[in-house]
Amino acid sequence: MAKSNKKQAITMKEIKRQKFLLIWSAVFVIYGIIFYYVPLGGWIMAFQHYKPKTGLLHSKFVGLDKFKFLFYDDVFLKVIRNTLAMGILTLVATFIMAIAFAILLNEVKSMFAKKAIQTISYLPHFLSWIIVCGILHDALSGSGIVNEVLVGLHILKTPINFFAHPGYFWPIVAFANVWKETGWNAIIYLAAITSIDPCLYEAASIDGGGRWAKIRHITLPGIRPTIMILLIMNIGNVLNTSFEIPYLLGNGLIKSVSDTIDIYVLTWGISQSDYSLGTAAGIFKSIVSIVLILIANSVAKRSGGERLF
Amino acid sequence: MKFRKYFVTLMAAAMATGMLTGAVSAEEYSDDQIKDYTMFIAMPGSEKNDGNEVKEIIAHKIGGRVKEIWLTGQTDAEAVGTIIASGEYPEFINGGDAMAALYDADVLVAWDDYIDNYPNLKEMYTDKEWDMFRQEDGHIYWANVFGNTYGMSKATTHNDEAFWIQAKVLEWAGYPQIETLDEYFDVLEKYYEANPTLEDGTKVIPYTMLCEDWRYFCIENAPEFLAGYPNDGSVIVDKENMQIVDYNTIPIAETYFRKLNEEYSKGIIDIEFGTQTYDEYIAKLSTGAVLGMCDQWWDFAYTVNDVFKQQGLDIAGCNYVPLGLVAEKGQENRWHTYGDTLNNSSGVAITTSCDDVEAAFQFLNDLLDQEIHDLRFWGVEGVDYLVDENGLYYRTPEMRMQVADNEYKASHMCDYSYMPQWGGTSKDGINAMTPTEQTSEFFEGLAEPLVKCFEAYGAGNYPDMIHSVVEENAPWFPMYSFSNAMTTETEGGVAWTKMGEVKHEWLPKVVMSDDFDTTWAEYMEAYNATNPEAFLAEMQEELERRAAAAAE
Amino acid sequence: MKKRSFADIAFTICNSLFMIAFVVITLYPVLNTVAISLNDGIDAVRGNIHLLPRAFTWKNYGTVLRKQNIVTGAYISVARTILGTLIALVANALLSYIVSRKRFMFRSQLSLFWVITMYVNGGMVPILLLYKSLGLTNTFWVYIFPGIIGAFNMLVMRTYMEGLPDALEESAQLDGAGYMTIFVKIISPLCKPIYATVALFVAVGQWNSWFDAMLYNRMKDEYTTLQFELMKLLSSVMQQSGSATNQSTTAVSAVTPTSVRAAATVVTMLPIICLYPFLQRYFVAGLTIGGVKE
Repeated sequence: MAKSNKKQAITMKEIKRQKFLLIWSAVFVIYGIIFYYVPLGGWIMAFQHYKPKTGLLHSKFVGLDKFKFLFYDDVFLKVIRNTLAMGILTLVATFIMAIAFAILLNEVKSMFAKKAIQTISYLPHFLSWIIVCGILHDALSGSGIVNEVLVGLHILKTPINFFAHPGYFWPIVAFANVWKETGWNAIIYLAAITSIDPCLYEAASIDGGGRWAKIRHITLPGIRPTIMILLIMNIGNVLNTSFEIPYLLGNGLIKSVSDTIDIYVLTWGISQSDYSLGTAAGIFKSIVSIVLILIANSVAKRSGGERLF
Repeated sequence: MKFRKYFVTLMAAAMATGMLTGAVSAEEYSDDQIKDYTMFIAMPGSEKNDGNEVKEIIAHKIGGRVKEIWLTGQTDAEAVGTIIASGEYPEFINGGDAMAALYDADVLVAWDDYIDNYPNLKEMYTDKEWDMFRQEDGHIYWANVFGNTYGMSKATTHNDEAFWIQAKVLEWAGYPQIETLDEYFDVLEKYYEANPTLEDGTKVIPYTMLCEDWRYFCIENAPEFLAGYPNDGSVIVDKENMQIVDYNTIPIAETYFRKLNEEYSKGIIDIEFGTQTYDEYIAKLSTGAVLGMCDQWWDFAYTVNDVFKQQGLDIAGCNYVPLGLVAEKGQENRWHTYGDTLNNSSGVAITTSCDDVEAAFQFLNDLLDQEIHDLRFWGVEGVDYLVDENGLYYRTPEMRMQVADNEYKASHMCDYSYMPQWGGTSKDGINAMTPTEQTSEFFEGLAEPLVKCFEAYGAGNYPDMIHSVVEENAPWFPMYSFSNAMTTETEGGVAWTKMGEVKHEWLPKVVMSDDFDTTWAEYMEAYNATNPEAFLAEMQEELERRAAAAAE
Repeated sequence: MKKRSFADIAFTICNSLFMIAFVVITLYPVLNTVAISLNDGIDAVRGNIHLLPRAFTWKNYGTVLRKQNIVTGAYISVARTILGTLIALVANALLSYIVSRKRFMFRSQLSLFWVITMYVNGGMVPILLLYKSLGLTNTFWVYIFPGIIGAFNMLVMRTYMEGLPDALEESAQLDGAGYMTIFVKIISPLCKPIYATVALFVAVGQWNSWFDAMLYNRMKDEYTTLQFELMKLLSSVMQQSGSATNQSTTAVSAVTPTSVRAAATVVTMLPIICLYPFLQRYFVAGLTIGGVKE
């Protein structure tokens, strides 16, 4: 975007003309500074032994002590692992499902069915995580529908308590995200598919290509740029996908796989009132996010595809 | 004329004594004189409706009204942390295990300058007991509201922990003597085999356990009782050597969990036990489908028994009877605590956000006034209870049914349950402070299967079922009041937190394991890695301090 | 017509099965919740209710709607959704308008200023302390002010506005229109789909958020929200340890029956479920054009 933007000479006349824009930009910048940049100043707390009584100005500086505590804490290392694992698993699963769903829905020939399915597919996106977790909890409970079906089909002999076994938790998180967002995420892919030149499909038909072949050789390459850019945009959010479900559905038994950085921040920062440690963990999370997005962007750049900046 | 003069003198005398004893004046407060307070209680509870009738009556009598906000969806520490961080506090707070955080954050008002002006409040504890509430800086910031007996104890319930079993199971089995875990599970298994479902088709759950948050004591602390020790909570005190013993690692603990593991693999223990929430647990018990569990009476009985009554399940024999199990037949037990338990680690406090501290103290004081206390726990005379010619309070069966109804409780009854209160005998010398302790009420309200069960075992009340050793509490009792107040500032406190985490994770795992020995060994390894010695050393130190203080 | 190949038919069948499974998995939990909410509470505990209630009753909805906090929560949720969406829509539109003006002198700097906020934020604790010092905690405004501008919404709108022909702006300028007039009279009417899309984003976010109510207004029942009240009803978490023996002799929480929770869930999801199919046309168009540059 920057390329096409020729630098304007800043003249008085230009300033006058753009007065409206300038005044409002100033308002937005002030707003942004207060609500987004001032909290970054709070990062100082991470290097202090912050006490509400003494405040930012008079609390004792302790250097990197809080970070040292983090990295010597087994729990924190596990928490990082869990956050990344859940984030990546969720990202991969939702991506594949959304693309698959978009492609398969595109193959549905009846217009009515297509519209109806699509409308239904958006529904879970509009439900809050509170509701989704409530549903998940009931569905996966010992007497829930999942156990009922599995036992009914003789896949299981006796019901399983899914939330009691660490092994199930990450897949449950990924599944919940898939359930909630597949339809919604597919919107953009569906649009991208529609914009593929129909001539390509006709040509393939003449060459005797089946539907499967067309999907592989025309549809998928056609939406590749869309996939790439969405992937990059979402990689920065990998660490943000894992708060609600672990918070609402975690329990003592699976704590070692369900606790995430956000929950760690909440436990230390709020429950134990150790604001410094909570802040330090938060900083770490921000840094990892940035690193992830930079890596994704440069990978995309190198592979010659789309990129964000 | 003479009569009139006599009457006036009497009135004057009554008023004078009224003033002196700090009794509530007859004067009513008008709507705009009533002060509104907020109180946060770090426990789950049920909200009262706006305009709750008894709450209004009390408000007009003593000029104060409290909106109670209960813990929901968070741990107590998290909720208290949130409140501290927000910078605006409710006037009253009962912070559960998180009182220490409130003290650290300087948000509580010290009681020292006020307490002497409020006789009802002061009366709750002896000077020596008040001293136990003093924090590091030497001040008192809160008072526990529970476990105070006025006059003679009227306890008919076993307000403690036990292995509980439904009365109908005992009846079915012919009222056998059950002393050990093996015998207990044996009865459950046999009954379950004969009755796998309830009449309506609901599947019977022979045994369940709660492992949620701090309520995991339901699975965790049975070894201390099985070994015959009283409820010191976090540790066993070996009186002979004055030594702290860790009940997590004694052989009885291993036997107990081995037994649970065995029963789990037999399908006797509820598969959801490890993950169920308190609400789910209570809901399960309320269906009458659960035959037995290990729990504290106050943790389930008030809710569950009311539901049983409403559903007619009490007549079907679903009520739970306590059993004082021990590791070996014939061993003595201390499941029942006969004396009062003073837990100085939590209680009700007034925060610095309260703009009229004196009025707040006056309110607390007035809540203990007998008239108000009766309103709180008995309700309105003529509506919720009647008085016979001897001054004895009683309820009709309809009244009992009515006060068991949740809707009614929310709209009519207001006990301010986390505010100062008494157990034992009323100041009128006749009644019990609370209906649950009124002997006549207790027997009247008892469902037939329970009466039959008590008769069969020759028991007059719940504690008689347990056969605990009758003794005075040791001066250091209960040790949990120290461990509850530990913070991560000390090495022992860090160990304590980690021990809790390890146990939360591993105890259910141990029970569910396919290979008990291996899992137990893994658990022990994880447990020992938390440095329990540091915790035990601090407990030992406190034990010695308390013992020495008592010897003075 | 050419005879369909075996592979083609197989594909169609598999695809139909997949779609049926998809629809069932998506709809079943929602319909099941509705069924339970219409079933008698005590009976529901026995389980085995699927798509139809076994013992039909409206009672659960009565119970839910009689809860003072839920009613308050509903008012607050509606208020924050309407107010929050209006303010955010105007602010985001204006900001996007500014950064999409090709002649604007700080165009790229302003964009960058906001894009950064997407990836770097102060974290829970500093933000909480900030709101506290701004006096936002324990007020209704904590739901409104922090979310006025969202960088993602700005990006989506900017992309859309950049796609509009420059000639529109130029001809208006020749007619002597200022930037404000162009924004209100020329650009905004063309941006209806993207405005609707962003409004929907913000509204859904506002309606569904609960954490802010819990963190900033824990003690203020008068500012509680529907989602937070629902969370309280459904609450099932707990990490943490501790082994208190806090005895309460009388107060134990009355259990919320599954059916009442289900009714509360339905009450909470109903407004948005009823609304979204009608907005579908807008958000699909808005997302498609604004979301990705072709």
